[in-house]
Amino acid sequence: MIGSLSFHAIGSVAYKEFLHIYRDRRILLLLLILPPLFTLLFGHAFENADRTDTPALLINRDPTPKTDRFISIITKNKTFKWRQEPASKTDEADLLGNHVQASLVIPAGWSDSLASGDPKPLPLYLDGADTNTADALEGGVLKSLGDFQLGERDQLVENLPDVVIDLGRKLPVDVRKQFVSLMETWSVKSIVLYNPKARFIEYVTPGIIGLILQLLTVTLMACTIAREREAGTLYQLMVTSLKRGEIVIGKMLPYLVISGFLIVIVTAVAGLHFKVPFHNYPMVALICLLFLLCSLGLGLLISAFSKTQTQAIQFSVFFLLPVFVLSGAFAPLDQLPKVIRYFAEIFPLTHFCRAFRLVNMYRAGLGFYFVDLVVLALGALITFVGAAFLLKRIEE
Amino acid sequence: MPDSVIVLNHLSKSFGAVDAVKDLSFSIAPGVIFGFLGANGAGKTTTMRMLCGLTHPSSGNAAIMGHDVWKQRQRARACFGYVAQRFSLYPDLTVEENFRFFGGASRVAPAELEKRMQRLLRYTDLIKKQNTPAGSLSGGMRQLLAVGCALIHDPPLLFLDEPTSGLDPVHRQQIWDLLYDLSNEGKTIFVTTHYMDEAERCTEVGFLESGRLLANAPPRDLKLSFRTKLLELDVDPVMPALVQFRTYPGVLGVSLRSGSLRIYAPDPENLLANWKKNWPARDVRFLRERWVEPDMEDVFTAYSQGYDSLLKSDGNHSVAAEKDDAASAVPVKGVR
Repeated sequence: MIGSLSFHAIGSVAYKEFLHIYRDRRILLLLLILPPLFTLLFGHAFENADRTDTPALLINRDPTPKTDRFISIITKNKTFKWRQEPASKTDEADLLGNHVQASLVIPAGWSDSLASGDPKPLPLYLDGADTNTADALEGGVLKSLGDFQLGERDQLVENLPDVVIDLGRKLPVDVRKQFVSLMETWSVKSIVLYNPKARFIEYVTPGIIGLILQLLTVTLMACTIAREREAGTLYQLMVTSLKRGEIVIGKMLPYLVISGFLIVIVTAVAGLHFKVPFHNYPMVALICLLFLLCSLGLGLLISAFSKTQTQAIQFSVFFLLPVFVLSGAFAPLDQLPKVIRYFAEIFPLTHFCRAFRLVNMYRAGLGFYFVDLVVLALGALITFVGAAFLLKRIEE
Repeated sequence: MPDSVIVLNHLSKSFGAVDAVKDLSFSIAPGVIFGFLGANGAGKTTTMRMLCGLTHPSSGNAAIMGHDVWKQRQRARACFGYVAQRFSLYPDLTVEENFRFFGGASRVAPAELEKRMQRLLRYTDLIKKQNTPAGSLSGGMRQLLAVGCALIHDPPLLFLDEPTSGLDPVHRQQIWDLLYDLSNEGKTIFVTTHYMDEAERCTEVGFLESGRLLANAPPRDLKLSFRTKLLELDVDPVMPALVQFRTYPGVLGVSLRSGSLRIYAPDPENLLANWKKNWPARDVRFLRERWVEPDMEDVFTAYSQGYDSLLKSDGNHSVAAEKDDAASAVPVKGVR
């Protein structure tokens, strides 16, 4: 059947479909404005993954030079935006009422306890509602506390009397070296690979591209056949000599071209505005093409079993919702439970994001993402055959 | 060219327990304007959709130019154009774009398409509207455009599903003039309608009632199938008489025509004689009587109401019956 498809007939369908898009100015505007706008919006939204300027409360009930030194260190911590309150304030546990996400109290006698060999812990109230914030804020406070501790130690060593130094000189060399080593903070020398500047935007770029494309292609495509059915033109289409394959390919072509154009716009915004580097363009293009075909096929499939455009939109939303959450577009999948990770594998966006990152960030060889390409290609094939099959069912 | 453009052979369609079309067998010769008549829900559209290969027959089959309408629908479709009941062209495309699309979809070669489009634009009188979106055309022009698009691949057969419903008389006339031109060119026209005056314009008429074919013959033959002329009475006042007479013994039905009462009765002469002797309605004044030839509306009433006693019992009005095959299965008249 495929062999006898007429190029002219496909062209007629494609041109007609293009005219529908072109004449519907709202859709046209949506297609031209939304993708770059979304890219800018999402790009800036995800530009910085670090937490900064979290509103926090600081109550000092131990006014000593030592606590002043600590406060001067912790107020330089960019994670927080501290609001210092007088010692008399007692509602430090009411985070919501104070419009903060953390509150730190320096209790009376804290500096004395540090000097007396029995350091008191600092009470820290944390907003644990979203399960991420509390850990990050605690880490921020601990870091400042560590810096403070190191400074205090250096000062102590600096001010040791000469007698102690002389005594120390009597220790065997290897023990002395161990002491020096122990006095230093042991560290790692991190070499960050694949995204050395740790810019989150580079990680989410494929997510943004995929999200926009999936959203537009699936919903617009889903409406095409449903619209003809609603308008009664589908029967008119069916009584022509058009073959199902010609209808399916013809309907898809304009959207494929438009989506290709959108990819160029979105990558241009990502590359020029956000300075996201792109690598191996031909492979990225191939991944995009397969993903597009897969998404268009899905839209077509939804279209073929929806009776009205409203239904088509509803089906699209039901499909797209889990995709956005579970496809790994904006957060890594490897932390998800195993069953859900398997579930995520059925979404084209999952494979698109993985393959895209492997090519563009990891600069990996074909072997690493070959399976993803195959899955996307299979997805495209299955959805198109499925849509053609469903169209046959409409006839009967 | 085969003897018949369309041949139906025990064509039936049921939706679940409902039989929409029951055992249709007849054929239509080339050049005929076949009027497919019936009330709403009689099965006209279902039959037409089966013939167009849009829904498959539950049993039986049909062929267009020798191609099975279901199994060879791709080939059959090249032989006909279809004008749906609902306007079903693309309203956002212009007249010309609609022509071009359906031409391309029907595999008309580009050079040929140009010629045909110009001819059809003249034919349908749409030249001035060439660049107007189809959605902004008036109802009549839309219908002309739909006919034009259905003809773009120059098919020998044209299906029209109630092409004039909702149109004003001027546009109705325009559509019919177009159909006559097409018929004159040798094209076969299959048109459903429930306007009786349109039935008169067809060269052959099939009556469908509850999915069964009640009659199939040229309009003249159908009118001749009445045993007698029909009795028409002028009375005053009309309405009370109309309501009362319907229930009188010996009366099958009464209809109002141009202010006169048309009486359907098995033995109208006897009835009139009796009424003249003994006028049954005290408050109604008898003015005069008249004998009239039945028209298509009478034919439709007689067939659809099952007034068998009005019709000649030996009448053989079925084209299919002449062709025999399964003639016995073809309900010729009043098989209810």
